[in-house]
Amino acid sequence: MQTAVQLMATALQIGAVYILFSLGLTLVFGVMRIVNFVHGQVFATAALTVAYALPTIAAAGLPPLAAYCVAAPVGVIAALVLSVAIYTFGFRYFQRDEIGSFILSIGLVLVLDGVLLKVFGGAVHRVPEVITGVVSSFGATVTLQSLVLCVVALLLATGLYLMLGHTKLGKVLRAVSIDHEAAMMVGIPYGKVAFGGFLIASLLAALAGVLIAPMSIVSPVIGTDYLIKGFIVVIIGGLGSIPGAILAGLFVATVETLGAFYLDSSYATIATFALVIAVLLVRPKGFLGRG
Amino acid sequence: MKAPTTLTIGVVAVMSASACAVDPAAAQDVIKLGLSVPLSGSAANWGKGSEFMCQKAAEEINQAGGIKASGKTYNFECITYDNKYNAAEGTKVAQTLINRDAVKFIGGALGTAPTKALQAIAERQDVLLFTVSWGKSLKGPEHPMTFTQQNTPYEILPPLIGYVVKQHSQAKTVAMLNPNDATGQETEPVAKATYEKNGIKVFASDYYERGTTEFQAIAARIASFKPEIIDVGSTPPADAGAIFKALDLMGWKGVKVNETGTGADTLKETGGDAAEGVYMGSGVVFDGDTVSAYQRKLNDEARKLLGEDLNTIQIGFYDAVYALKTAMETANSVEAKKVAETLPDITFPTFYGGKVGFFGKETYGNVQQMRLPILVTQVQKGKLVQVHRIDP
Repeated sequence: MQTAVQLMATALQIGAVYILFSLGLTLVFGVMRIVNFVHGQVFATAALTVAYALPTIAAAGLPPLAAYCVAAPVGVIAALVLSVAIYTFGFRYFQRDEIGSFILSIGLVLVLDGVLLKVFGGAVHRVPEVITGVVSSFGATVTLQSLVLCVVALLLATGLYLMLGHTKLGKVLRAVSIDHEAAMMVGIPYGKVAFGGFLIASLLAALAGVLIAPMSIVSPVIGTDYLIKGFIVVIIGGLGSIPGAILAGLFVATVETLGAFYLDSSYATIATFALVIAVLLVRPKGFLGRG
Repeated sequence: MKAPTTLTIGVVAVMSASACAVDPAAAQDVIKLGLSVPLSGSAANWGKGSEFMCQKAAEEINQAGGIKASGKTYNFECITYDNKYNAAEGTKVAQTLINRDAVKFIGGALGTAPTKALQAIAERQDVLLFTVSWGKSLKGPEHPMTFTQQNTPYEILPPLIGYVVKQHSQAKTVAMLNPNDATGQETEPVAKATYEKNGIKVFASDYYERGTTEFQAIAARIASFKPEIIDVGSTPPADAGAIFKALDLMGWKGVKVNETGTGADTLKETGGDAAEGVYMGSGVVFDGDTVSAYQRKLNDEARKLLGEDLNTIQIGFYDAVYALKTAMETANSVEAKKVAETLPDITFPTFYGGKVGFFGKETYGNVQQMRLPILVTQVQKGKLVQVHRIDP
């Protein structure tokens, strides 16, 4: 029982970040038809900014939680500024151009990898524990910090789901993702909506970055690991599907956790990729993919 | 496109002539030392420190008059590239160093996989290779141009594991974890055999992928075996700290070993209080009376740059430069093959103090392993303490 609860808690924690990360990927693909590889760099920028800013702010005498409350918005803003630049000077010209945006995306990854390495250095950074304490239940122990991450991530995912279903912005985003030409014909300003969708996606990546920073090993390459997992989640969930991304995020995290526990973490990675193949063989459009 | 004018052609011709007029001897007076090290990821600080130590040794030698061989005076220059601790990047670095930069001496390569990639190209072009990598397969009579500049599992693990087992005689079981690459795969059998030789039962021996950032599931699995010792083998300290922290959270309390552990700082950075008590095989202590003023000065400079003390990996890059200088002057040649033939017979000044040479005929079938002190260290009250030393 203890082991089962422990594994469930671990899967939830990993899954929460996968969900946040992949929601952004799937949203951009849905609205702009762009496979956005730069998502990982936006995520890394937010995490690295927190890793750099927090110790500096804490050194000024603020307690870790207060310092984090200052550093986290700085991280989000840094990531959003980067995203605005990426959109304005890049993706704006390659909307719904899957091949063009794919090449641009790969190029931007290479450039930004180099920039992040230059700016933040290659070494790993550890963000001090922001929320101390552990919670024990059924013999399993999780840090309070992890618990907060899960709650925040699930709240954000629920918020996005509700926003897409029940607000004007959400309906507009969905309309554009289903048929952008028809949406434009009824007066929806596609350019503005696409930019809004891109910013929301980047915000999700940035939030995932600032949330994971105090619990992980932060380095300029942190985005790459999550990008691969994020794509697996999006593909299994169904490209463009928000509920699919949530479901697949939890599914992949569970497979990974159980695989690492019962097999070996190397085999867990193989198991995850094997799973993608299996899912695509049975459901080529993913769990909740359209068509 | 406009055709070039006579003036343009003239300017280009003059510039080309000026370039050719540079004294070729001046260009030849520099001996480039190529470094293939990780400058990004969890082992980045090892790479940065290695570059720093190579440059320090080169600076000292250059300022002291350089290397005198075959009637000329040469200076050293260290050229570093990021191998990202993997074979693919290691191959790119090897191509760049040997084919583009025309390097004939590798001052150090870090990581068994990238070193193997480098070795494959270096051997074909008679390039002399120094490495701190742990893989035994890098050495042997079939690799006469390769030399190891730090202790490797065959030197470190018997005294390290022997000491740990002796100190914790109640411990009878171990679970091991290593990175899933050439370094981990070549370290694991040596560690496993050493534990078994010391009467310790190996409950599990797992691998994980480098670049992993989430260690809870891995820790849950290792802890489930309820071993008395957990040895994270050749895991870099940043990852090791995160693993020990996750183990601590799960309530596992036992003997902790990190064979490639190089210092308390990085381990504490990711492991917090869980770093306490960890035994390491690659750390160096810079406190106490036995440390010279010079060693302390260099370490202070390194601390400013790296945020942590120097370790045996980085010191290896310093020693290799002095070994090369001595061998070049002894051979009276800067030809890589002649230098390689001379290296097994020389002694040279080491950062650890005194002079050392090479050994390894019994273990590797060839004399190509630097004879260096073996230091067993432990994190005690947040500081690195040397608990055992062997001078082979």
